[in-house]
Amino acid sequence: MPRWLPPLLALILGISLGLIYGWVISPVQYVDTTPDTLRADYRADYVLMVAEAYQREQDGDLAVRRLAILGSQPPGQIAAQGLADARKFGFADSDLSLIQKLTTAMQAWQPSTQGIKP
Amino acid sequence: MRRFPWAVLLALLAGLGVGLLISWGIAPVRFVDTTPNTLRADFKTQMRSAIAAAYAADDNLPRARARLSLLGDTDSYQALSAQAQQMLAAGETSARIHQVAQLAADLQQPPPQTAAIATPPPTFTSSAPPPTRPNIPTTIVTLTETILPDQVITPPATISTATPRPTHTPTSAPGKPFELVAQEPLCQTDLQDGLMQVILTDSHRRQLAGVEIIVSWDGGEDHFFSGLKPELGNGYADFVMQPGILYNVRVADGAPVPNVSAPACTAADGTTFTGAIRLSFQQP
Repeated sequence: MPRWLPPLLALILGISLGLIYGWVISPVQYVDTTPDTLRADYRADYVLMVAEAYQREQDGDLAVRRLAILGSQPPGQIAAQGLADARKFGFADSDLSLIQKLTTAMQAWQPSTQGIKP
Repeated sequence: MRRFPWAVLLALLAGLGVGLLISWGIAPVRFVDTTPNTLRADFKTQMRSAIAAAYAADDNLPRARARLSLLGDTDSYQALSAQAQQMLAAGETSARIHQVAQLAADLQQPPPQTAAIATPPPTFTSSAPPPTRPNIPTTIVTLTETILPDQVITPPATISTATPRPTHTPTSAPGKPFELVAQEPLCQTDLQDGLMQVILTDSHRRQLAGVEIIVSWDGGEDHFFSGLKPELGNGYADFVMQPGILYNVRVADGAPVPNVSAPACTAADGTTFTGAIRLSFQQP
């Protein structure tokens, strides 16, 4: 057996043990996550919440602020993504209609003229 | 005698270090499909507000319950109640506080018997657990709690009083301004001395939660909401008065009721004590 083989095998074993420990036994814990990391169905449901509230309140600025926690993209894009996800996950037609209305409103929303209130 | 395999041991340790470096630093496990219960506390607060706003729009309590359950709160009612108080302290608009307080109060209602409407289950291509997005019942929950004429509300022995607040938060409760319809002294020894009970109802005598009540007196003012003690009624709120002090009581945008004070009562054995008072407000 070559002399270099045992150290190499030990190195490979060590890497494997390290990966198993770090990925399986004690992986990095995410306990304080942000909404942009939510699974797509939860994000879509959040967009639906905003759409439901928007239907009643008709407050575009407030809807924009609520959508902003899902990421830094424009609100129309976030709402459109929520609509696509909602379709994918089989949301009810009435819910899709609400998200569609929100998406339309958000795509027409202009930050330059309707700046977000603090 | 064989030499100790230092090279093997060092290689093993080096490999372990490299493995941990990769798994913890370079390529840690990525949680891109997280669930709402892992959200940071401030985002959970925003989610609760959104849930309450959506509930205010659709009146769908089962859906709101399902959404709240995803946040992993041990007690959603407590979480919402505390949030309503924090929002009040932070000077949030009364409309948004009302939404949260209303949802907190309505959570105390028994769950509806109707089944949720089945929504086609989402299809997932990942190994993530099945989605728990609440299916959407369309039941509209209507509160029909009505005050009985002789109803006597006995709160628990320990009553926490709200901390006086130096600033006034403007309010505008939905609906018409409340009017005082009854003011009754309560000389009952089982009630806390100086207790002011406030009952708020709409024009149909249904109790209303989440309505702000402002009590002011010479040198102080306090704000609190109905519905934070739902076990005593959705429209119930209370405040402890000090003997000999005159209070002004105002409900949302209603006219203030001046000179409210704790009544002096006489017990059956002739001793005097500070009684309680009940103020009933109703929307016309």
